Amino acid sequence: MALVTVKNLSYTYPDPNGRGGACSSRIVSDKDGVHSDDRHRALSDINLSIECGEFITLMGATGSGKSTLLRLFKPELRQNGELEGEILLSVGKATLSHRTSVSGDSLLAGSGSPLVLRTFPQRGYLRKGSLGAVDITEAVSSMVGYVAQDLEEQIVTDKVWHELAFTLENLGMRRQDIARRVAEIASYFGIDRWMERDTATLSGGEKQLLNLAAVMIADPELLLLDEPTAQLDPIAATRLIETVYRLNRETGVTVLLCEHRCEELFPLSDRIVILDGGRVAFDDTPRKVAQMIGRDSDYSAFLPTAARLFHLVTRSAQINYAIPQSPLTHVSGDSLLAGSGSPSVTARRLPNGEHLYQREPEIPLSVREGQRFVGSLQIKETASDHADPPLTEEALTLKNIRFRYERRGADILRDLDLTVYRGEVFALLGANGAGKSTAAAVAAGLRKPYAGTVKLFGKSLKDYKNGTLYKENLSLLPQDAESVFLCETVGEELKGCDTVMQNLPFDLSPLYDRHPYDISGGERQLVALCKALSTKPRLLIMDEPSKGLDANRKALLLEVIRRLQHDGVTILLITHDVEFAALCADRCALFAQGRIAAVDRTDRFMTDNRFYTTAASRITRRFVDGAYTVALAAERFSTDGGAV
Amino acid sequence: MRFEQLNPFTVAVYYLCVLGIIMFSMNPLLLCIALLTSVLSAVIGGTADKKAHLFSLAVFLIAAVLNPLFVHKGMTPLFFLNDNPITLEATVYGLCAAGMLTAALYRLRDLSKVMTSDRVLYLFGRFSPQIALLLSMAIRYTALLRVRWRKISDSQRALGLFDDGNLIDAVRGRARVLSILITWTLENGIVTAESMESRGYGTGRRTSYAVYRVHKYDAVLMIVCILLTALSAVGIYFSKAEFYPVLSMNLLNPWGIAGAAAFTVLSVLPLIINGKEAIRWRWLLSKI
Repeated sequence: MALVTVKNLSYTYPDPNGRGGACSSRIVSDKDGVHSDDRHRALSDINLSIECGEFITLMGATGSGKSTLLRLFKPELRQNGELEGEILLSVGKATLSHRTSVSGDSLLAGSGSPLVLRTFPQRGYLRKGSLGAVDITEAVSSMVGYVAQDLEEQIVTDKVWHELAFTLENLGMRRQDIARRVAEIASYFGIDRWMERDTATLSGGEKQLLNLAAVMIADPELLLLDEPTAQLDPIAATRLIETVYRLNRETGVTVLLCEHRCEELFPLSDRIVILDGGRVAFDDTPRKVAQMIGRDSDYSAFLPTAARLFHLVTRSAQINYAIPQSPLTHVSGDSLLAGSGSPSVTARRLPNGEHLYQREPEIPLSVREGQRFVGSLQIKETASDHADPPLTEEALTLKNIRFRYERRGADILRDLDLTVYRGEVFALLGANGAGKSTAAAVAAGLRKPYAGTVKLFGKSLKDYKNGTLYKENLSLLPQDAESVFLCETVGEELKGCDTVMQNLPFDLSPLYDRHPYDISGGERQLVALCKALSTKPRLLIMDEPSKGLDANRKALLLEVIRRLQHDGVTILLITHDVEFAALCADRCALFAQGRIAAVDRTDRFMTDNRFYTTAASRITRRFVDGAYTVALAAERFSTDGGAV
Repeated sequence: MRFEQLNPFTVAVYYLCVLGIIMFSMNPLLLCIALLTSVLSAVIGGTADKKAHLFSLAVFLIAAVLNPLFVHKGMTPLFFLNDNPITLEATVYGLCAAGMLTAALYRLRDLSKVMTSDRVLYLFGRFSPQIALLLSMAIRYTALLRVRWRKISDSQRALGLFDDGNLIDAVRGRARVLSILITWTLENGIVTAESMESRGYGTGRRTSYAVYRVHKYDAVLMIVCILLTALSAVGIYFSKAEFYPVLSMNLLNPWGIAGAAAFTVLSVLPLIINGKEAIRWRWLLSKI
């Protein structure tokens, strides 16, 4: 039985300046899928069916309507849009006692009104607020769980145990039942050790795990997650996704997850749905979706590294894979594949005149499969090691820095030494909570170390008097763009940044009339970047600039960083995004336990690291050195001409 | 079970009793006992550090000196200061008031250490789940706002918009930080509201969950507290303590002594409970 059925669904936001929707992609959108007349049409003609127990990943660029669609499955979160078509959620067997009363009911959202509840067959139409409908909202509310991307704001109460109990308190459960459920969920999620802690003291990964647990405690049948790992470092993100996967396997909860992080999700998901401009572009198993998306497709950014590498390598050797039309039709039976133009079967004519059909290796999705694929390829020799770029003039020097927040606390920075040279992009990598951001704050003069010296362009930070440090010398792009906004509109916010913006590869002028909080997170960050650059810094410190950005935005940010570097700005990048650092940094450092554990040129750093490195490097490093991005890896391998 | 681990109700009743007696009896004998026992509890319980003790001492001295300086009632002048009499009665009254203030301060400090936020919430949650939730959210938001305040002032400073150099700039900078903080928090409040709503807030009658249970021990202790308090109150009623115009005390009558004894026991009750616990632990450990 389908848990959710969506038929011919369209959804339109009433206000052009409203939240989310297709309009937010306009500054960098090079697609013409968004027409001016239906600009606020967030979703059109969506048909989707979700079976019980499925694990579905919903992908798409910012503004493609992912979040809008997700929210439609949760009646409480529906915004004031206009809905056409229908969504059918079927309530299954009752698991909570109060759910039995509405067992077998369905929730139907009809056109026109924001929420119409229909129970059939006996009750007829009911609206929220009337007596009978409250039961159903309650039932739906505990049947559908929703986790958003914000870590902090989702937490309601001050103690971990209370946060878990909050959900059940709302459902009016008895104390003993709550005690039991809290204990159960705490041990399942492994949070029983920090039950007594204040929610404010948790790390990012712990916060999101708590948010997930607090939703799962109501035992929902459908779990919706809206970019749950956007604010997390890769380790915490993987852990969260693994937990969701485990829930799906062990409790059978149906999962619908919105995410940019394809590397882990492609191998795990049952189905991938890609939205584009409010329409379903792809809806199939991960392998088929990966196969259908070709090398040059706009969608290739959604694919995991292994699949992208597969496309790059096989397409450049397309001739070897030419398939005669006739045998394919009666062999493969995969009409979907035939249409995609992606080869999966090769035919070879044997001496006796018969055709021998061989399946190509399936498109690899995980690192392991990628290694197997790469192992079947021939290695091309390319020009080896290029010379080190000259690094002479020191831009930023941290020497023997020791820092702690509290007098009796532990050291956050322990004897930190760090040198950033003029004109380079230096990436400081490491897990959340390792002290990277603290190091950045010390480097920017915002925190005073109790030992050690910080020098900027050969001058001690103390010698920059009267705020000259933050004028034309150093600037910091904070993690939370919200912390810089002062004005009512983006235009006012950007006053005095005109010269800066002429140099940047994007145009923010369409947003001038909007409130800084009404634009998307990525756009907000660009505005903050312009403000940070308005002081014409020689050294720019960027704290997690790629956090929560989709592939397009990351590409744009990459372009910005390249231009700034070209203009002579030295950049210190604080990030946990290895893939991003691999694309833009000259040198990388691994930060752990309050000091730098390793620092090296990016190619050597990525090649020498076993675990903390890019997926491309993990796939290829047993075969070749220095192939740490997909593009570099594709240059080093070729198919050997025949079938494998 | 240690005193801090008792049911929050018992703890609340205990402090209500002790503070009630301290604050509503101007009885020199009881206040003496109160001051001594509260300092003793703080020293043994480790709830006050050196700084806190010094602060209490300062409070005591100031309160003790201020009364005779400004109040000139009383029949027995000790000496004259600027032609104003410093009287014995006002001095004794000042000492009593200072003792009361200091003892109450010590007790309140103990209370704030014992009554952590979740205990307070438990207390209110018994009466109204709504108030309990409101308090819990308030505590959560204070922590969140503190973190945000620092983030905002950091980024404003790094943008060169914040100058600690002169006072006006500093004030203006703080005002800006506050303005951003409010906007940011209000905007993101939507997420919290959605999180609450999507977890079923407002769909029906709320219950309140707590991790504390009421033991028999709690009930017994509560009754003991109330009996001791009643006895102290009777003692206070039967003893006479008048300061003006002439000191006139009758503290050591049988009821007064019984009341003082009861109050002493009440004051050191946490110490007795914890001491008993410590001894029991020793004993249990020695058997292993």
